Amino acid sequence: MGPTLIYGLINSAILVLMALGFNLTFGISGVANFAYGAIYVVAGFFAWSLINTFHLPFVLSALIAIVVIGFAGVCLYRFILTRIRGLVISEVIATFAISLVLLELLRYFGFIGSKYTLPVLVNGSVELLDTFVDIQRLLIIGIGIVVLFALYLFTHHTRMGLAFRGIAQEEHTSLSLGINPERIASWSMGIGAALSALAAIVILPLGTVTVDGGYDVLITALSVCIVGGLGSTFGVVIASLIIGFAQQLTATYLSSHWTMIVSLVALLVVLTVKPSGLLGHQKELEERV
Amino acid sequence: MRTVVTIFSSLLLLAFVSAASAQQTITLGIPTSLNLIEGKEANLAARLAVEEINAKGGVKVGNEKRLFKVESIDIRDGEPGVPVSEALLGIEKLILDKKAYATVVGNFRSEALLAAMDIYSKYKVVNIGTIAMVPKFEELVAAEKAKYKYSYRMCLDSKYLAATIQGLMKHINKDFGYNKAFIATQDVLWAAGTGALMEKWFKENGWTVVGFEKYPTGAQDFSAGLMKARSGGAQVILPIFDMPTSGTLLKQWKSMKIPSLMAGFISPLIGTKAWEAFGEDIDGCMNVVFELGNVPVKAYPPSTKFYEDYKKRYKEEVQSGHGVSGAYDAVYVLANAIEKAGTLDSDKVAQVLETTDAVGSVGRIKFSAGHQLQFGNDPKTAAVSPVFQWRKGKRVEIYPESIADGKIEKPAWMK
Repeated sequence: MGPTLIYGLINSAILVLMALGFNLTFGISGVANFAYGAIYVVAGFFAWSLINTFHLPFVLSALIAIVVIGFAGVCLYRFILTRIRGLVISEVIATFAISLVLLELLRYFGFIGSKYTLPVLVNGSVELLDTFVDIQRLLIIGIGIVVLFALYLFTHHTRMGLAFRGIAQEEHTSLSLGINPERIASWSMGIGAALSALAAIVILPLGTVTVDGGYDVLITALSVCIVGGLGSTFGVVIASLIIGFAQQLTATYLSSHWTMIVSLVALLVVLTVKPSGLLGHQKELEERV
Repeated sequence: MRTVVTIFSSLLLLAFVSAASAQQTITLGIPTSLNLIEGKEANLAARLAVEEINAKGGVKVGNEKRLFKVESIDIRDGEPGVPVSEALLGIEKLILDKKAYATVVGNFRSEALLAAMDIYSKYKVVNIGTIAMVPKFEELVAAEKAKYKYSYRMCLDSKYLAATIQGLMKHINKDFGYNKAFIATQDVLWAAGTGALMEKWFKENGWTVVGFEKYPTGAQDFSAGLMKARSGGAQVILPIFDMPTSGTLLKQWKSMKIPSLMAGFISPLIGTKAWEAFGEDIDGCMNVVFELGNVPVKAYPPSTKFYEDYKKRYKEEVQSGHGVSGAYDAVYVLANAIEKAGTLDSDKVAQVLETTDAVGSVGRIKFSAGHQLQFGNDPKTAAVSPVFQWRKGKRVEIYPESIADGKIEKPAWMK
């Protein structure tokens, strides 16, 4: 049972990190960023290029990747999404098109094969609860907790964070208080993209950077956010724990073959029983009516 | 008037010269997934063979020599979500628009290859495939020889892959007395099918199978399966994967210190770049290379020659374990068949191909009645799938014994 607990927790932390950026952007700006998975993969390849082509140290490469991808997220909003904001279908089509373009361009330019791996922060493994665990996986749990705590501090104790919450709660009222929703929305896109890059930097060293991974990350982030309730950070954490442990238990007691449908089954169940998600408030009123 | 006549004559002459020069070439089509590593490298290998043949004056057809001209097309059938019909359209385009006389490399997906065989028959185009591995190909050709006489395969199929792995397991059993296995495969037809064949073989040969896990493509966490292997007392883990993320299995195998040999097929871990990407995490892993030549084997010089020539021409080593050396050999086999037939008549060339008996980079090249390249344990008598073990960045051949230059070593935590 010990190994299942450990790896279930690690799995959940990975899901939290993968979904946080998507959730933050949607929660603040209302934009469902379907380019999220592509941004994750681009961040991985970008960091790989900085390390292997420009021979920069890993930590510096990671920082540059996070900042540049965050800035790219702001630009994505300012130059493309701002024109269609509020038109939900257009936002989805535009971001999904961007995702396809980014991923297929990577494929076209030869980013294929298994040589694209990022280094781990700390090498080695330790014995915990009767199993060996690599330190990188334990770090993911730690980084997940730190990011959640930092997000809490940011949204509760900084001017911009409070503005974020204001926009998320009631955009028009926030406008009357002098908060510029366009600026805040572009920042939310930037921070969402940066969180996606951070997730890529800490998760991808466990495996390899692949173009197809972009589609998987998007589906994972969507599933976790919808199960947890779109826009709810606490919901993301709860959904990640449920799906993460369910996947691990499925792999342990059934077969790894079935893990791929766990998040989708959770999604179906939640959409049927409580479409707003476990802790989502955005559609709750509509559901009551 | 004189000017008009001069211009008209020049145009006629130009048209004649163009037509004459077009007759000098034989168009060789390469319809495959050019953005996947096997397709990309197989394309380059086939082009290398064409360059070598053309440098010697080309292919002798009767009394004249003709140059090969290569036309590649990306039919993308190895990529997810691409329908078979799109791949077939690409092949037809190559035949009808580019006038491909014959094709090499070909389809990735089994169902696409089986469907494409009808196209090759329809247009009487010889195809020597080097990627798709479905055993049904051989059965179909053998059953309907008249119809499918143009289709050949110059690579391993699932049946021979299973035979190679079985030989490796016998070798492990002989050296260490091990007889408990755990099977981990990618959840795709060929890999799961080979895993099922191996499960049956293990049970029939006195082995215990402590688990059989199938992982969805893209899986990055293998911990649950590895824990099952350890708790079941598996002495050997047999992996069968071709997805890039499968290298993670080795990383976790090492970090979790699983006391089992890792011996099977993980395609991303074959090339020299695997060591650059994964480093010591893959030390000790044993990997089947589908065809000789995709790795150089000292005991068989033609494999080393192809490998070195490829490296010299493209400034990098072959990274794929499948289809590359076969593509190179396929061009030579086709050229020899054309020369022996003395004509470009596809029926006659296809007939001559059946009698092929040549030395290639993959080993000795002979086709079965179903036009499948025949594999065995000695490159002097058949094509060979070598097995190597990663040791401190070097690939040491450990099986079959005819080409081995070392014995299997246990990973550090098992000693």
